[in-house]
Amino acid sequence: MDTALEDGVAATSSIPLLSVLVALTLCGCDRDVPRRLQPAPGASTGVETVLVPEKLTSIESGEVDARGQPLRVPCVSCHSLKEPARMPDGPEALQEFHRGLQFRHGELACTSCHQADAPQSLHLATGEPLPMTDVMTLCSQCHGPQARDFRAGAHGGMTGHWDLSRGDRTRNNCVSCHDPHTPKYAGALPVMPPRPKHPSPTPEDRSHE
Amino acid sequence: MNDFTRRTALKGAGATLGAAAFAHAMAPLTEWTKDLSLDEFLQRHYKELTPEEMKVILRRLEEETKQEYGRDVTIQDLPPQEGVSFGYALNLSVCIGCRKCAEACHQENNHDRRTGNSYIRVLEMEQGSLDLERGNADYDHAVPAPGKYYLPVQCQQCDNAPCVKVCPVQATWKEQDGVVVVDYNWCIGCRYCEAACPYHARRFNWSKPEVPAEEINPDQGYLSNRIRPQGVVEKCTFCLHRTRAGRLPACLEACPTGARVFGNLLDPKSPIRWVLENKRVFVLKEELGTRPRFFYFFDK
Amino acid sequence: MAASRHVLDYPRFLGRLLWMSTDGSWRFYVWMTVLTAICLVGANAWARQLVDGMALTGMSDHVSWGLYVANFTFGVGLAAGAVMMVIPAYLYHDHEMHDVTLVGELLAVAAIALSLLFIVVDMGHPERAWHLIPGVGRFNWPVSMLTWDVVVLNGYLLLNLHVCGYLLYMRFLGQKPRKRWYLPFVFLSIFWAVSIHSVTAFLYSGLGGRPFWNSALLAPRFIASAFITGPAFVILLLQVIRKFTGLPIGEGPGRTLTSVMRVTVLLNLFMLGSEVFTAFYTGGAHAGPAQYLFFGLHGHHALVPWIWTAVACNVASAVLLHLPASRRHVTVLNVACVLAFVGVWIEKGMGLIIPGFVPSTLHEMVEYVPTVTEWKITAGIWAFGLMLLTVAVKVALPVLSGQLASHSAPKGEPTSQEKEHRAAA
Repeated sequence: MDTALEDGVAATSSIPLLSVLVALTLCGCDRDVPRRLQPAPGASTGVETVLVPEKLTSIESGEVDARGQPLRVPCVSCHSLKEPARMPDGPEALQEFHRGLQFRHGELACTSCHQADAPQSLHLATGEPLPMTDVMTLCSQCHGPQARDFRAGAHGGMTGHWDLSRGDRTRNNCVSCHDPHTPKYAGALPVMPPRPKHPSPTPEDRSHE
Repeated sequence: MNDFTRRTALKGAGATLGAAAFAHAMAPLTEWTKDLSLDEFLQRHYKELTPEEMKVILRRLEEETKQEYGRDVTIQDLPPQEGVSFGYALNLSVCIGCRKCAEACHQENNHDRRTGNSYIRVLEMEQGSLDLERGNADYDHAVPAPGKYYLPVQCQQCDNAPCVKVCPVQATWKEQDGVVVVDYNWCIGCRYCEAACPYHARRFNWSKPEVPAEEINPDQGYLSNRIRPQGVVEKCTFCLHRTRAGRLPACLEACPTGARVFGNLLDPKSPIRWVLENKRVFVLKEELGTRPRFFYFFDK
Repeated sequence: MAASRHVLDYPRFLGRLLWMSTDGSWRFYVWMTVLTAICLVGANAWARQLVDGMALTGMSDHVSWGLYVANFTFGVGLAAGAVMMVIPAYLYHDHEMHDVTLVGELLAVAAIALSLLFIVVDMGHPERAWHLIPGVGRFNWPVSMLTWDVVVLNGYLLLNLHVCGYLLYMRFLGQKPRKRWYLPFVFLSIFWAVSIHSVTAFLYSGLGGRPFWNSALLAPRFIASAFITGPAFVILLLQVIRKFTGLPIGEGPGRTLTSVMRVTVLLNLFMLGSEVFTAFYTGGAHAGPAQYLFFGLHGHHALVPWIWTAVACNVASAVLLHLPASRRHVTVLNVACVLAFVGVWIEKGMGLIIPGFVPSTLHEMVEYVPTVTEWKITAGIWAFGLMLLTVAVKVALPVLSGQLASHSAPKGEPTSQEKEHRAAA
């Protein structure tokens, strides 16, 4: 009698539990749908372009056009007509045009980069002339490490595609970020000012309290 | 006997009263169940869904977004790419602490507007110290401030991720391209991962996110920037809805100083590989053995 | 034949116990009504929290666990400590203890239920709890310590339910319990009690990113403090039972439990001191949370009054327990028990969980203060736990004392009522 009783108690407690466990284990076998992958990137089709900022070929006139856009004047509109003046010794010598130009770029003189007789164009250290739009070659003469990093994609930032097989990429120019006359990157006020860190409920939520 | 029946009657009355009071106390739940569809309740884990089931779910989620936020969006489930393993590096010498990356993240990932959430926190650090204790995320003055440098911190996509280890329901895992993701429809909201993460990379949806329809980014991913439900954990996914389509992460594009470098670690010609091979990179809290995929370096 | 009889008889027996539990003196009704009211307030607050989100709590992404997890941790300790009585009873054949072990086990059941509820209210999506069911959901066992906790807590609940149910049922049937049907489970529950609290400690101590928790001493501390709160609660509970049911409970169990507490309060203080020494002597970033907890950090002091209250309570209870007066005057003992209970509740709750998050992993200082919603829900769950315990003890005792047995007439119920009336009068 006692044995039967014991078995009875055992049966009541273990059988349903066991069957549930077995059922759970059965449906618990690996149900993961194999994850398909995208095919490997194919041959390169995208292009990497380096920006050529407007300021390399034109200058702000201080006026705005009919749509309120700043009116830019191409460099050549003055520099091709005007008899080239003697290259000034420093920015303070600029009396008529480019007044107020700030210059903080080491020990350089204007003619270190600009051609003395054609200030809208540049020249390399060898004296070889260089179009303004090729300014990055000029910068690279002194800023080798930055130029190296840039070539490697590790300096200057970019937009578009990291994967050139799937689209294009645009690179910044040296002068996109650095004003060649005052190359130190300008600071700014940060965006996203700090906020209270507790996600407090909306006033409607609070009214429930 | 009389006493017995009277007592029973009283008990009945008490039980009825109690049940009524309980129903009244739980009444707010009707509002809660209204938002909870049976399909959503019964939805299985991401890895168990067939492509067909996923399609149905994506349409359902788009529909819900339309109804609740009034915006037509496209929610995709882009798979990882073969031969691609993501890595990220950040140049601390050029970061100026402008928080543009945090802002871009906020917009790209449809973060709650009320709390101004972002997956990126930027710490203002003392020159000469890597001690986070001396950092400050609440700076509000012109940057860069003298004597300071800036340390943006976001998910480090650890290869030995504590958050993945601790999740009791495998609602978060590492994908083949190295990104740690969360299935927002599977997360139970226990926040153990938030406690486990050494980088403050995880966020919880303490309430339903609020985003005005016109500010919603309609290009959305199931595992990334779709508007998250209330009560689940979310995190940075290296913008996988963008990066798995070959595009750059939003924070990188927004960086005005080009401090950020992103790419495929398996591609020897990628910028990220160049940084790892040519710069002295380090990772945050290396001693914890989390093996991050997010690297920091100084130029000088 | 016998088996099928029990299949029906055991639920019927449980049903009868439940029905019986609705009988009682006016004091009982007042007590239960008050608890029910608190429960309902908590239930209402929880329903609102589900609708409006956890933003109604004081938690944030910086302090992502708060009062709920603090109480969960404490509850698990209470459950583990409640089984403390089993050890002398069965291991050392303390016969006086045998009679009251059941009280400890019932307390364990109630405490586990309470702990589980605290986890439920801490979840952003409690309706997704089925994701935790092995096989049906995706149970991340054995990697996640939380899954271990789910296993050990539910296992402990079943274990104690089985032992209590079996012993009571046998007593009810007037049969001698068969050792093989409960003794292995009793011994298992002793180890299991240690495991539930160790696993709960491992939840925290396994996190490398939280230096305050990342200490091997956490599990031993948890066990030591569990063996304070469990006995403290049982000492008080036994007196309440004696007062209200007239059940003859000897002085022996209380004395045994008091001697246990005399050791564990000191052990607990010693380990707390060791942690404090290590943190402050070493200094540096690892001392941040301890600094914040004990003295405040960078102008933030929210936890300072809490922890010093806890330290004061723990020290005072240790002193009282070692005064000869605690042997002579039950009031002194009771005060010591209450102090110990409150002290550990703070130390292991707010004093342990919150500093784990302050300063945050990026060393930001964000403080945590529980909101009204959290206090309501917490009170509701404690009230529910007390209701569960009251009912469990109330139905178990008449069976235990032989007032309710299968061979006595069904009119056993009025008999127990009369007893209640007498006790209340």
